[in-house]
Amino acid sequence: MLGKLDWSAIPLEQPIPLIAGGVVLVAILGVLLWVVVKGYLPYLWAEWITSVDHKRIGVMYVLLASVMFLRGGSDAIMMRIQQAIAYQSQGYLPPEHYNQIFSAHGTIMIFFVAMPFVIGLMNLVVPLQLGVRDVAFPTLNSVGFWLTATGALLVNLSLVIGEFSRTGWLAFPPLSELTYSPGVGVDYYAWSLQISGVGTLVAGINLVTTVLKIRTKGMSYLRMPMFCWTTLASNLLIVAAFPILTATLAMLLLDRYLGFHFFTNEAGGNLMMFMNLIWAWGHPEVYILVLPAFGIFSEVVSTFSGKPLFGYRSMVLATMAICVISFMVWLHHFFTMGAGPDVNAIFGIASMIIAVPTGVKIYNWLFTMYGGRIRFATPMLWAVGFMVTFIIGGLTGVLVAVPPADFMLHNSMFLVAHFHNVIIGGVLFGAFAGFTYWFPKAFGFRLDETWGKAAFWFTFIGFWVTFIPLYAAGMLGMTRRMQHYDVAAWRPWMFWAAIGMALLSIAVICQITQVVVSIRNRDALRDRTGDPWDGRSLEWATSSPPPVFNFAFYPDVRGEDAYWALKQHAKEQQLEHAEPEYQDIEMPRNSPTGFVCAFFATVTGFALIWHIWWMVILGCLGAFATFVVFAWRDHDEYVIPAADVAAIDRANLEERRNLVSMAGAV
Amino acid sequence: MSDLTHHPVQHDLAPGEEEIHSVGERIVGYVVGLGLALLLTATSFFIAGTNLVWQPSIPIAIIVLAIAQMGVHLVFFLHITTGPDNTNNVLALAFGLLIVFLVVGGSVWIMSHLNENMPAMDQIMRMQ
Amino acid sequence: MAMTATYGHAHADPHHLGRAIEHPGPAPKRIVTAYGFWVFLLSDIVMFSCFFAAYAVLVGQTADGPKGSEIFEQRNVAIETVCLLLSSFTCGMASIAADVRNRLWFYLGMAVTCLLGLIFLSIEFREFADLVSRGYGPSRSAFLTAFFSLVGCHGLHVTAGVLWLLTMMAQVFAKGFRADILRRMMCFALFWHALDIIWVAVFSVVYLLGSGV
Repeated sequence: MLGKLDWSAIPLEQPIPLIAGGVVLVAILGVLLWVVVKGYLPYLWAEWITSVDHKRIGVMYVLLASVMFLRGGSDAIMMRIQQAIAYQSQGYLPPEHYNQIFSAHGTIMIFFVAMPFVIGLMNLVVPLQLGVRDVAFPTLNSVGFWLTATGALLVNLSLVIGEFSRTGWLAFPPLSELTYSPGVGVDYYAWSLQISGVGTLVAGINLVTTVLKIRTKGMSYLRMPMFCWTTLASNLLIVAAFPILTATLAMLLLDRYLGFHFFTNEAGGNLMMFMNLIWAWGHPEVYILVLPAFGIFSEVVSTFSGKPLFGYRSMVLATMAICVISFMVWLHHFFTMGAGPDVNAIFGIASMIIAVPTGVKIYNWLFTMYGGRIRFATPMLWAVGFMVTFIIGGLTGVLVAVPPADFMLHNSMFLVAHFHNVIIGGVLFGAFAGFTYWFPKAFGFRLDETWGKAAFWFTFIGFWVTFIPLYAAGMLGMTRRMQHYDVAAWRPWMFWAAIGMALLSIAVICQITQVVVSIRNRDALRDRTGDPWDGRSLEWATSSPPPVFNFAFYPDVRGEDAYWALKQHAKEQQLEHAEPEYQDIEMPRNSPTGFVCAFFATVTGFALIWHIWWMVILGCLGAFATFVVFAWRDHDEYVIPAADVAAIDRANLEERRNLVSMAGAV
Repeated sequence: MSDLTHHPVQHDLAPGEEEIHSVGERIVGYVVGLGLALLLTATSFFIAGTNLVWQPSIPIAIIVLAIAQMGVHLVFFLHITTGPDNTNNVLALAFGLLIVFLVVGGSVWIMSHLNENMPAMDQIMRMQ
Repeated sequence: MAMTATYGHAHADPHHLGRAIEHPGPAPKRIVTAYGFWVFLLSDIVMFSCFFAAYAVLVGQTADGPKGSEIFEQRNVAIETVCLLLSSFTCGMASIAADVRNRLWFYLGMAVTCLLGLIFLSIEFREFADLVSRGYGPSRSAFLTAFFSLVGCHGLHVTAGVLWLLTMMAQVFAKGFRADILRRMMCFALFWHALDIIWVAVFSVVYLLGSGV
């Protein structure tokens, strides 16, 4: 009846996951209770859960990423403490639990923190920057978000029901095959990634189509803000790479569920095929994450230097070059597997070549700053911190792109330090820069600068205190994923890494304080003009937060830095324009399709993990029925009358005129 | 996005959309496509089973015929052409094909080297 | 945007090149939908390419089980191929009928497409069932694993296509040829034709080349 599921699935004998799961459960129930008691549920349902507004979906993505960041960060803290004390002892985490923690840490940080964070920011900002009212497929956007949330939910469910994968964040066979991992851990891993992978693919298709087909008048390709270009490149990579992940995990699941022989040791299966395919996805994946961050830095550096982006066209070219070359380097993740010198050499050279367009970008940012009037607001601090950190991460990357060097450093702590150096220094700094930069746009008030700067400095210093020791330990021969060790020379480095982790934890507390303090002081921090940073692209041309339709009229773009040009133009003309003729606006109607669909996906995923076949069938039928019901509806749009549009737009224009006249007075 | 914004300006063609609109011509297009596809398929099957051609050329011939037939399908059924209003569709297709080529070609190349350098246990046994 | 509300500038083509130079603004829904679906299809083809790669790598790993030439039947494959090619043609006829809003020909075209799809699926199912009953199921060897997954993946897509086709017919029956339904029909036609292209690769690589090995 319930497949493999019985009471033994609840880890009653393991206090740590049980307590952690209990705390999370109590927190979720508490929040739910609070929402219901306060009567917010109808509001949440109507305005957020069923929303197809790209801005709200973007905010929900970022919220999901932030919550999962706390979960993945807790895993990191536990690992650092374990390695700090597990010298010639077992530490406090038993091996099977430690293995689950490092697997969960990697899986969560990549798939449920970094991915939703950048997708959320792209969702929030790209339609605004393109000067349009929504993405290409609003309802599908909501489906994509909720499927990602489903994946995150399943990963967290493994905390209290069953176990998580112990095979590392990429579940390499043969360890992940049924013979060696008979539990449900790998199934949790694979199904949550399959479901959230569909969500990511949907988001990718949506954003590619948005950038290529939905731009305002005059917004030709070479007038798009840099963030739109990197969004295009990143989502092209999603569309091209995520099907590879889906296929690879499907093969692993076929091995596990139906006794196929893709990656088994028996009957001619070839486990190296898994490494090959998973990295054919895995390498583009890191560029999927880092390209949007590059876009964010381009926007931030140009805005806070008060200059147009230096070398815009070379930046576009570099972005698209990275987009293509990132598909030609995947073998450098398994140089040591024995493909031979010629194959290794070619992939090594390709890996070094991809550093060239990245270097072009770094120089472009530096030259953008050169001669600019730089304001060191929090987003700019993240950007400068990124440049320092990412260059060092990139250089160690070029180092391990040399096959002989890689033979020494493969699977060592050096590698761990390298990819954290690029992912924290690149993606996470980018995400935080984008978060502080666009927060006023999303919510209508700025974030507290003092706490933001504190968060930056603690993160920056904490990062180096954590990861320099890992480089050193890697040089001393420490391999990754060690539950305990007997080498005395590694111990001080692990100790320092734990200190760094404490600093990083303080940084997270600063971030949370920053948000709380800013919400409490929101009236003082209010952004009335919609343009708090003196921005250059079109998202600043509308109010903060923007009305549901973003723009009363499609802006007419005449050049690069569209909004900057408009502002200059407006200052000259003192904004003396005739009242435009407002028109009705059609917007897509909210729809619970995404949420209902994710509900059935959760049911199906859970049932598949536990082999509850009747529930699988039920879940699939439910999902199909949801789509048919959605396809059957007659009214998918509603009309905002011209009078309402006019009222909203006039209020915004009034504030903006005040701003311009004040600027004129100065 | 909504139909209100449908300006009378030139847009690209949607993928699958034809430039000609008379029903008769469209049907003729599909008939020609079907005829060519059937012809190419028949040739493929014939070549695979025949002794009339030089044997080592057969795999190459089959691959060439398959690529030709995919082209026929793209042009006559999916209406992907090289027209200027089709640029976006063709670029997307080109990107997709590049990835397909890299994944299949790369995998085969890498895996053949791996197999050569590190043969599976049973193959080593057989060699001894 | 008071300052940007310049709606009426029509001369986007000052040099009369015949093509608008200024970007005209958001594309109409029909183009957006079809383009999005086109991107999806390309991603689907990338997914198939992984199964093709797996097949190419594992085709020699028969683990003393049967080789391709011992289990493939050219006649069945030829019938399957003809079914799919004809169904692509009838699907094209149904799209034309939908565009000119001719219900009779639409239903006829879709029904024949569905029938041909079902014939294809039943032949494939018989082939699979026959192989499994002879002990040559996907667990027998890595070669058979790759074969069943690649061909089965295409079969699953055809099954999904048939389900979509029937839903489409029901929608046209209930709602008529509305703009959104015509957009979906366009996507369906793209999907069905793309499956045909993948089948060309399947019969060439798996059945024709595979039986020669």
